[in-house]
Amino acid sequence: MKRLILLLMLATSLVAQEVKIPDAEQFVGKPQGQPVSGALLDQRTNETGGLLRCPVCQGMSIADSPSEMAVNMKHQVRELIARGYTQEQILRYFERSYGQFVLLKPKFQGVNTLVWILPIIALAVGAFAIFSMMGKSGSQPVDEPPVATAEEDPYLAEVRKLTGRQS
Amino acid sequence: MNRVVLIAGILITVALVAILSAGLGKDPQHIDSPLIGKQAPDFALKAVGTGETIDLTQFRGKPLVVNFWATWCRPCYEEHPVLVSNAQMMQGQVQFLGVVFQDKEEKIQQFLNERGTAYPTLVDQAGKTAIAYGVGGVPETFFLNKDGRIVDKFVGPIDSESLQTNIRKAMTQ
Repeated sequence: MKRLILLLMLATSLVAQEVKIPDAEQFVGKPQGQPVSGALLDQRTNETGGLLRCPVCQGMSIADSPSEMAVNMKHQVRELIARGYTQEQILRYFERSYGQFVLLKPKFQGVNTLVWILPIIALAVGAFAIFSMMGKSGSQPVDEPPVATAEEDPYLAEVRKLTGRQS
Repeated sequence: MNRVVLIAGILITVALVAILSAGLGKDPQHIDSPLIGKQAPDFALKAVGTGETIDLTQFRGKPLVVNFWATWCRPCYEEHPVLVSNAQMMQGQVQFLGVVFQDKEEKIQQFLNERGTAYPTLVDQAGKTAIAYGVGGVPETFFLNKDGRIVDKFVGPIDSESLQTNIRKAMTQ
């Protein structure tokens, strides 16, 4: 009995000593894809890493940044892909901690919609303005050069007199 | 037609000026944490020196200050005495925890031996805890209420006044 109690105490202390690191499963559930390895794992890590902003860099993705923070994040992306997490789940996991700032491709929602729509609107307004101005200038009558009359120009009057022409 | 172009131009300019002026005076490195108001990610990490595993959940019922730092971070030297003195002053009311990020245990131990400490310092593994908390750079300090909910986050070296303000928030929210 004494031995059993000791064993139980030992087991309890071992459980209490276990290191627990926050895991993606806690936030985005179980993996929804298939575990990946080899060259495909490298490719998917780079693809997903290319969509995540390095939080300590100036506009660089974690796939491109050599900073330790980006390297840690890339390792985590790789580990999650290897476990079968989908790209959508991984982006959601990082977005949960860092917010939309971490996404290099902003989502089409809320204020971010303006990021997608404003350039198209600006382009359409600009094109409309240019075409309207071109159309207007094409339809305007061209001013003909003024024709001098014989009364105004003595030289012309003399030429007409000599040639016998009136106009 | 010219009037349409003029109005469109004015509207675009006004919108751009409004967007840019809204960002004026803001710290470009500051990012609002989406974790504020949410339950803090749980972790259990080894403490420097003792090797004891400290679980975040064991402090439920008490407000918590979780400070992410590193020995290679210069501003962390500046805030360390502020954290230690406040932890000593508020012992029993508020629990302080340090989480060291991207560092070596020997260096952390040396830092603590030289500068003293008043609370457990834990070692983050592969920066995973920092990533779960959305840490962009150290130092960053999170304030948790007695239920383990994040009430606020402070980026940069914290001063005593900001620390007390945020602790009060953690005690009342």
